[in-house]
Amino acid sequence: MTLSQELLEQLAEDASQEGLNDAFFTEFLSPVGNLIVVQSRSGICRVAFDDERKEDVLAQVARVIGPRILWSSELTRAVAEDLEAYFTGQVQDLAVPVDLALVASEFRRRVLQDLRNIGPGTVATYGILAEAVGAPRAARAVGTACARNPIPIVLPCHRVVPSAGGVGAYIGGCAKKRWLLEFEGAL
Amino acid sequence: MTRTLPPFALLVEEHGTQLLRHARRLAGSEAEDLLQEALLKALRSYPRLRNGDHLRAWLFRVLTTTAFDRCRKVTPLPLATVPERANDPELYDDAFGSLLEGLTDTSRAALELRFVQDLSYNQLAERLGISPEAARQRVSSAIRTLRGRIS
Repeated sequence: MTLSQELLEQLAEDASQEGLNDAFFTEFLSPVGNLIVVQSRSGICRVAFDDERKEDVLAQVARVIGPRILWSSELTRAVAEDLEAYFTGQVQDLAVPVDLALVASEFRRRVLQDLRNIGPGTVATYGILAEAVGAPRAARAVGTACARNPIPIVLPCHRVVPSAGGVGAYIGGCAKKRWLLEFEGAL
Repeated sequence: MTRTLPPFALLVEEHGTQLLRHARRLAGSEAEDLLQEALLKALRSYPRLRNGDHLRAWLFRVLTTTAFDRCRKVTPLPLATVPERANDPELYDDAFGSLLEGLTDTSRAALELRFVQDLSYNQLAERLGISPEAARQRVSSAIRTLRGRIS
C-alpha cells in the first residue's frame, strides 16, 4: 500500500457514489492465513488463500468482471464482519451473497451453488454431490468444479471429501481443509 | 490484439508514490486531495482506454491536467495587486495556469514536465512514452503556440 488508507478509502467511496466500481477488494487475516476477498457489485466473486499472488487474483477478476477494482476496507466491511463471525464461531455458515461470474460453465455453477446445502459439521462425497446436481456419473467433474471454486470457504467445497476416505485435496492445501473441517466439527 | 487493462488498484499501488510526489510539486499541501480527484477522474475514463500501453504516462497526464483545471477555476486577482504579491508561489501558479489555458493537454503536460518539473527531454520522453525527438517537438510547438498568443 503506497498511498494513505484515507485517500484510498475516499477514492473508493467517491467511485462507489458514481457507480464507477467493478469490484472492491480487501485482505482478511484468518486462522487459515491471509485471505484476499473480492466483492463485485452483486456479491463476493473471489476468495483467495495466501498461496496465490494478489496480482493474479485481481487480474483474473479484471479480465472477467472489469478493471475498475479498488481497495476498500470500509465498503467490504459487511463481508469482513461475516468472516469474523464465522471464524470466531458466532455463526456456523456464511450466508453472504456470491457472484459466480468467474465460473464459465453452467454445470460448475450448479455444483458450486449446491455446496451451500452441505451444512457445517457435515461432509459429502464427490459422488453424492454429483447425484445431487443430477449427474450421478460425473463425480470427477464435480471434483474439478470444487478444485476450481473461486470462492472457497464461502462456498464450502472443503466439505466435499473422497469416498475412499481422508480429507482429499484442497485449493489452499489439505492442511487448511483439515483445519476447516475440524473447526466445524466434522472431523 | 487488445490487452486487458490491469486492475486499477494495482496501477495505484505501482505508481502511487511517484504520483503523490508529482502532486506535491503541483499542489503542495493539497497534494493528497489533488491526487484523489485525479484518480477519480482517471477511473471515469479507464474502461474506455483502448489498450494498456503507457498507463503510467496517462496517469501523470491526468494528474497534471487536473492540477491545471483547478488553477483555472481560481479567479484571477486584479492586475494592480500583482506586483507586491509576485513572489507568492500560489499566484505564480495561477498566472502559469492561465497562461497555459487553451493549450491542448499534450502541450500543457509537455511544458509542465519540462519547465516546472525541470525534466530533461530524455526523462520527458520516458515519462510520456514517446521518443526524445517527439518530446522536443512537443515542447517547442507548445512554446510556439504561446509565443504566437503573447505577441
